[in-house]
Amino acid sequence: MTKRLFLSGLLALLCGFNVVWSQSAYNNHAQLSGRLKALTTQYASLASVQSIGKSTQGRDLWVLAVGKNTNTKKPAVLIVGGLEGVHLAGSEMVLQMAEKMLAAANTDSVAKLLETKTFYFLPSGNPDAQEQFSAKLKYERSGNGTETDDDRDGRNGEDPFEDLNNDGIISTIRVEDPTGTFVVSKEDPRILLKADPNKGETGKYLVMTEGIDNDKDGAFNEDGPGGVHIDKNFTFEYPVFNVGAGDYAASESETRAVLDFLYKMNHIFAVLTFGPNNNLSEAPKFDPTKALKKIPNGPSAKDAAVGEQVSKIYNSRTGLKDAPALPQSKGNFAQTAYYHAGRLSFTTPGWWVPKTEAPKDTTKKAATPAAAAPAGGAMPRAGMMGAMGAAAPANNAGEDDLRLLKWADKEKLSVYSDWKTIQHPDFVGKKVEVGGFMPFAKLNPPVSYLNEAATKHLKFITELGQQMPEIELVNLKTESLGNGLSRVSVQVLNKGLLPTYAEIGDRVRWVSRVKTELKLSAGQSFVSGKRLYLRNALGAGEQEEYTWLVMGAGKVILEAGCPTAGIKTAEVVLK
Amino acid sequence: MKKYNYLYNHRFIGSFLVLSFLHSFLVSFNTHAQTTDPDLNGMRAIGTPANPKVPWTWNYYMDFAGYTKLAQELSKKHPDLVKVQSMGKSAQGREMWVITVSDFKTGNPDRKPAFWIDGNIHANELQGTQFAMYTAWYLAENFGKVEFLTQLLKDKTFYIVPSLNPDSHENFIYKSNTTSSSRSGMIALDDDGDGSTDEDGYDDLDNDGNIVMMRRKSITGRWKIDCDNPQRMIPAKADEQGEYEMLGSEGFDNDGDGLVNEDLPGTYDPNRDWGWNWQPDYIQRGAFYYPGTLPETQNAKKFIYAHPNIAGAQSYHNFGGMFLRPPGAEEDQSYVPPSDIAVYDLIGKTGEKMIPGYKYYILWKDLYTVYGGEIDFIGLNRGIFIFSNEINTSYRLFNKSSTEGRFTNSEFEEFDKYLLMGDAYVQWKPVKHPQYGDIEIGGPKRNYIRNTPGFMLEEEGHRNMAFTMLHAYHMPKLDVVEVKKRDLAGGLTEVTATIVNQRAIPTHSAHDLKFKIERPDYISLKNAQVLAGMVVENHDLGITREQKNNPATIEVANIAGTVSGGGGGGFGGFGGGGNAVKVRWIVKGKATDTYTIEIDSRKGGVVSKTL
Repeated sequence: MTKRLFLSGLLALLCGFNVVWSQSAYNNHAQLSGRLKALTTQYASLASVQSIGKSTQGRDLWVLAVGKNTNTKKPAVLIVGGLEGVHLAGSEMVLQMAEKMLAAANTDSVAKLLETKTFYFLPSGNPDAQEQFSAKLKYERSGNGTETDDDRDGRNGEDPFEDLNNDGIISTIRVEDPTGTFVVSKEDPRILLKADPNKGETGKYLVMTEGIDNDKDGAFNEDGPGGVHIDKNFTFEYPVFNVGAGDYAASESETRAVLDFLYKMNHIFAVLTFGPNNNLSEAPKFDPTKALKKIPNGPSAKDAAVGEQVSKIYNSRTGLKDAPALPQSKGNFAQTAYYHAGRLSFTTPGWWVPKTEAPKDTTKKAATPAAAAPAGGAMPRAGMMGAMGAAAPANNAGEDDLRLLKWADKEKLSVYSDWKTIQHPDFVGKKVEVGGFMPFAKLNPPVSYLNEAATKHLKFITELGQQMPEIELVNLKTESLGNGLSRVSVQVLNKGLLPTYAEIGDRVRWVSRVKTELKLSAGQSFVSGKRLYLRNALGAGEQEEYTWLVMGAGKVILEAGCPTAGIKTAEVVLK
Repeated sequence: MKKYNYLYNHRFIGSFLVLSFLHSFLVSFNTHAQTTDPDLNGMRAIGTPANPKVPWTWNYYMDFAGYTKLAQELSKKHPDLVKVQSMGKSAQGREMWVITVSDFKTGNPDRKPAFWIDGNIHANELQGTQFAMYTAWYLAENFGKVEFLTQLLKDKTFYIVPSLNPDSHENFIYKSNTTSSSRSGMIALDDDGDGSTDEDGYDDLDNDGNIVMMRRKSITGRWKIDCDNPQRMIPAKADEQGEYEMLGSEGFDNDGDGLVNEDLPGTYDPNRDWGWNWQPDYIQRGAFYYPGTLPETQNAKKFIYAHPNIAGAQSYHNFGGMFLRPPGAEEDQSYVPPSDIAVYDLIGKTGEKMIPGYKYYILWKDLYTVYGGEIDFIGLNRGIFIFSNEINTSYRLFNKSSTEGRFTNSEFEEFDKYLLMGDAYVQWKPVKHPQYGDIEIGGPKRNYIRNTPGFMLEEEGHRNMAFTMLHAYHMPKLDVVEVKKRDLAGGLTEVTATIVNQRAIPTHSAHDLKFKIERPDYISLKNAQVLAGMVVENHDLGITREQKNNPATIEVANIAGTVSGGGGGGFGGFGGGGNAVKVRWIVKGKATDTYTIEIDSRKGGVVSKTL
């Protein structure tokens, strides 16, 4: 008996160890900081790192700038990961992309890009939450280090997880109970599903996250340490009063640091966010009922077309298939970057569980947002006092779970631990088991799987960089009309394959518009035309012609462009 | 000084008398001193403290140094009533003062129900600073003299913020401005997209501190002088030739871009920088990057979150004579449910009586939509009852509402003529303009129209202050009104306590309850061995609801007020008034034992009773 217990304990340990080992290459903040610093040493002329702010617990939010002579007049792309704390794979991909881009800096295509563009890499936007992966007790955490009262009972963090089987990770508990609402899936007994009365099913299990009900309020682990989910704390469609969203939009130092950086760096043309949302494999369509509202929540017609164009680049350059739909979530950065900061904004999980057999249905509905989204706290505050813990499986999780298990079985990866009976003080005399899916497994494969994903996304971002707008001054003419009067004319052309900036940028105060200025020398004056013209975004291939009448001879300087498309100057001498 | 000698003499004489006599003598002396005091050379006017420890006049607008000095003087002269602290610094580094006023001897002011008052977030709206300071002064100087105020300061706390925008406050007072400029903060922004910040502001052509209107005689002009009131410009009639063209506010094209006054200082709105339903500048003009971009609003937010005892709030603005309640946007109506409206109605409708000409309004409906405004942040993020008063209304000029619109009547000009003797306007005068040539400038001085004239300022301040007293009075006042003890079998005793909220405002607004903004109220039985605890839902029918965990401290979601009735936690409305809660404990011991009952409510304060 003792021997058997020992063996099963050993098995559990090994099982846990296997998973921990397979994912152990995910960095903690110190390691991530080290990799960034190493890049700035190895590629001193191309890479520099700065802290744009600190997390609640004092961890730096690093931004690595990659490019030749980076400055705020060169158009830039911002690549962000790790705002969703559970999405470690995003952070890793952002870092690997930077590493790969720098390693390829001497190849023609990348070298040319780094001459004219800047790439900002922000690998970890929520380092407090991400650190939980490397902590003694490993669990999926989206919240930063801010103290919160998630169940609004006046006590902060009074009902955390407990590692009841001492395996160093927080997984799931199931309790055999007549009031249970979950049953074992018929397709794979490892999957728990909500009992469906329409199928004549009655529940067998109560399901909750691993831990006890410390405060005896009937809810399990509903108020653990931390915090505010940074990717729910941004300003667009901020989900007020939702658990994890914080007291108000941009209440967190991480949120403000990221927004300050984006708003002030007005040469950032586009943003790519790695996280559990996807608008890249399939671009959002133009919908006038959304786009033309007082408070728009759909892209404008022109921006939707750009989204379509970029989506094609994404699908062709990455060659990725079967991407989960993952609609945008409220209060996230990706949407705020577009609707509020006025930049083109793209988002993708970067990696997802591949399909392991020919699908019967080729549409993308297989993976649902509920399943792929991180487990914690999706419920609104008012409804969170039920029997479910924070990480209870979603009702429609079955297909995603099945997809994960099939893939993991094929790849011989341990993403699941078998159910083991434990004693639980809140369920004395009942059969209580710990087990189920390993934390982090659904969004984060072993790091070795990300090499390919990072390469593919670098291809995408390289192509995007090559299609970026570029201002040209063409057909610049000066005509002398006699007696010191000259006519200067020019066409300001966007010769890039994308607009100078998102169309919504023309509504956003903080986006610099296309500016054309004729600078006169002493003794010259305008007879017709203004010194300075501002206009809306120039689409791909679009141009505008400007003409001035200038009195007086000598040099004049023409300057045109905008920070997101570059600024060009030309000099002409008037007779 | 004269007064103190007088006092001293009386005390000296008094020392020869028996103690009880001395006491009554001093009491009668004090009463005596309040009505006829030698310093006054006359009789105290009712409603105004005689011989304040900090003498102050109320018919001008204080600058930063002025209100700083008054705040510090008050705390120096009233150390047991007034405390001044900074909630942080403004963008330009000025301290943002919070003046705490309470009777510090009757408990920790941060645990009493507290009332927040702020002014001047729009810095050209100077009355807010003035009225906030008047409130601090009036409370401190009347403590111990007016019974109502003495009790109020025993029960409650005031957090008074004279200016939420001190940088711009100084700009408005000391730099050239229009009646409406300096509403923004002073962070320089590029308004016209040319890459430079604040490079084309107003230009004070005659250096008198007032940015007024520019006009020029013109053969194509469509304006003429109002012959009844030569100060006023009116449009020429359809069949008339005009005489003048209007050229906007004083200024020229500083940067040669063909535009005049197009890049003014700041030009954002600190009152669109708050965290409820925040929207960007293209939807809500004046918004910055995100709610709390500005240090001033960040400071206020931190203070408000650090003081969950704030149970009522007042924000001062001008102009228009309004008591505005949330919400600021139509789509947020559901966040102010009917039982909260009942509380607003009680205070707002009484306010209409207190300040003639002011109307009780709903912000989005009766004024305009405001996203990301302060009153929604305090009202809806925090669940605090808040009014924003739009101070000053043209009604107050001649105590009547004009039948014509603001720009089609001549009330302000007439008021200037008959009551201000022409002090309020810059008379039209010729000046040279670098681009327009010979022009004339004239119009209302920057401290007219929106800001109240001096002789009316104290009165309007007092009325607004009184409105906040009504609101502050109605913050929760909790009391253990009855404790019944009954011997049970087996050496057990049943202790039943009835807790009443004697005021209109509940400990949790209905909105607060719906979204669990504030934690429940705790009602504890101290120094007793509690075996079980429960809420008594119906005393007569014996219906109770047990609290299994930690029964010594019963948690109730709400203690309703006298107006909102049984709304809320489901505990009020039974066995008596809707503003009562009944809790019960089963304890080991006898009915003759002594028990202490303590109520600990974030917005209702801490109250304990030993029986």
